[in-house]
Amino acid sequence: MTEVIFVSANGEKTTVEANAGDTVMQTALAANISDIIAECGGAMMCATCHVYVDDDWLERVGKADEDELTMLDFASSEVKPTSRLSCQIKVDDENSGMIIHLPDSQL
Amino acid sequence: MALAPLDDEIAISELISNPYPIYKRLRAQTPVLRVKSIGRTFITKAADTRPIKDNPELFSSNDPNTPMQRAFNAHTLMRKDGEDHMAERKAMMPTFSPTNLKTVWSPAYEKLAHEYLDRLPRNEVIDLFPMLAGPLSASILSIILGMPDATDDDMQFWSQALIDGAGNFAWADEPFERVDKANAAMDTYIAKQAEILKAEPDQSALSVMVNADNPIAYSQIVSNLKIAIGGGINEPRDCMLTILYGLLTNIDQLEELKTSGNWSAAFEEGVRWVAPIQVSSRLVMQDTTIRGFDIPKGDVVMTIQASANHDEELFEDGDKFNALRKRTPHQSFGSGPHHCMGTHLARLTIGKLLLPLIFERFPNMEIVEPENVKWWGFGFRGPLNLNVRLN
Repeated sequence: MTEVIFVSANGEKTTVEANAGDTVMQTALAANISDIIAECGGAMMCATCHVYVDDDWLERVGKADEDELTMLDFASSEVKPTSRLSCQIKVDDENSGMIIHLPDSQL
Repeated sequence: MALAPLDDEIAISELISNPYPIYKRLRAQTPVLRVKSIGRTFITKAADTRPIKDNPELFSSNDPNTPMQRAFNAHTLMRKDGEDHMAERKAMMPTFSPTNLKTVWSPAYEKLAHEYLDRLPRNEVIDLFPMLAGPLSASILSIILGMPDATDDDMQFWSQALIDGAGNFAWADEPFERVDKANAAMDTYIAKQAEILKAEPDQSALSVMVNADNPIAYSQIVSNLKIAIGGGINEPRDCMLTILYGLLTNIDQLEELKTSGNWSAAFEEGVRWVAPIQVSSRLVMQDTTIRGFDIPKGDVVMTIQASANHDEELFEDGDKFNALRKRTPHQSFGSGPHHCMGTHLARLTIGKLLLPLIFERFPNMEIVEPENVKWWGFGFRGPLNLNVRLN
């Protein structure tokens, strides 16, 4: 079983079991992680599933590509080099256990 | 399993005049209900509406039995799925990029908003629908679409003709005759304007579509513009009036926002409270179930976001406007691949620009006889009038 560890803006940690192949965004919604809104449902049409990938995981998870960066301009919280849209990150055996930090707001 | 219960009592006229008490009852008693007068299965709970929008493979936008195709003379992107939809949507996306919103459309809107506010008389009773909300929404849209010479009246006439034609489920003659006339005028103007923008490109939707490296078919460019005209005036207009009504009838909230400057909260609350687009249809592609009821392939479900936005499981006193409520996501902009393309534009122009501007200009604006504000609409909904005295 793969898993994702979400850390909220105030430091609260939640470990969630994930289906390999699902996105981090889908994993969060299925686990009722309310800091992920995902208004567009993963179509990369909004920036309400914005997350920060933990520094130690960034290399394995990868950075945002150009299209994703453009959309991240709509994010309500600060965009950092570790920023990603969680709908664009697929959970797999390689990145299982990744630590994902949640921003303080999505709207 | 069994089919969802069938209702033969709910009348279209009731839904048009005030659907909210009906939706409240449906959420409590029959959240999946086949409604005979509309010929659709109503889905009224928030937990059910959103997954439908997020799953276009099972719930397709390609509902063939609507008058929309006749009204638009086209199969439009609103009624397509998958790659076809995405290609046509992407053709317009550069116009709505964050950079363009910030550097092009935001200054353009601010300038227009000042011009329209300058024209409003003080100390007399005026109706903000025809004096501000309608024409300002039309004017900014004409610029963003690349149709700047179209007058506010033209834009509003075309928009209403498209809406009335697309909603002409009775297949009456008059709305189709009117939209035919509007289509002829739009087609002529767009063709002329396309040539101008090929010579002098800008960031408008028509320009980015005709000047793209691999442009979509010209007929689709035209139908994309018509979709934007059909939806891009009434929605900002209706939500602007709804928000102003909400604030002017809740002065304590208004005073608090004047201090906090959190006008975006009023914007979100207004579009939640009375969603400008209340319902959406989706065609069922495979036999499925919702809340234990059989939903057969070929059925058409109607997600009622207006109802989802009042769902007791998410919102306390959801029938009341409260710009100070805890921020909870609403479904007014939809979700999934058809998530409203104008979302960010609306949040910016109305939430961040217009609301602070109008209350700075007229800090003592008063609503006049709020009980006479007439609300109307089942598919699209908003106030038909909003009398105020400006000061």
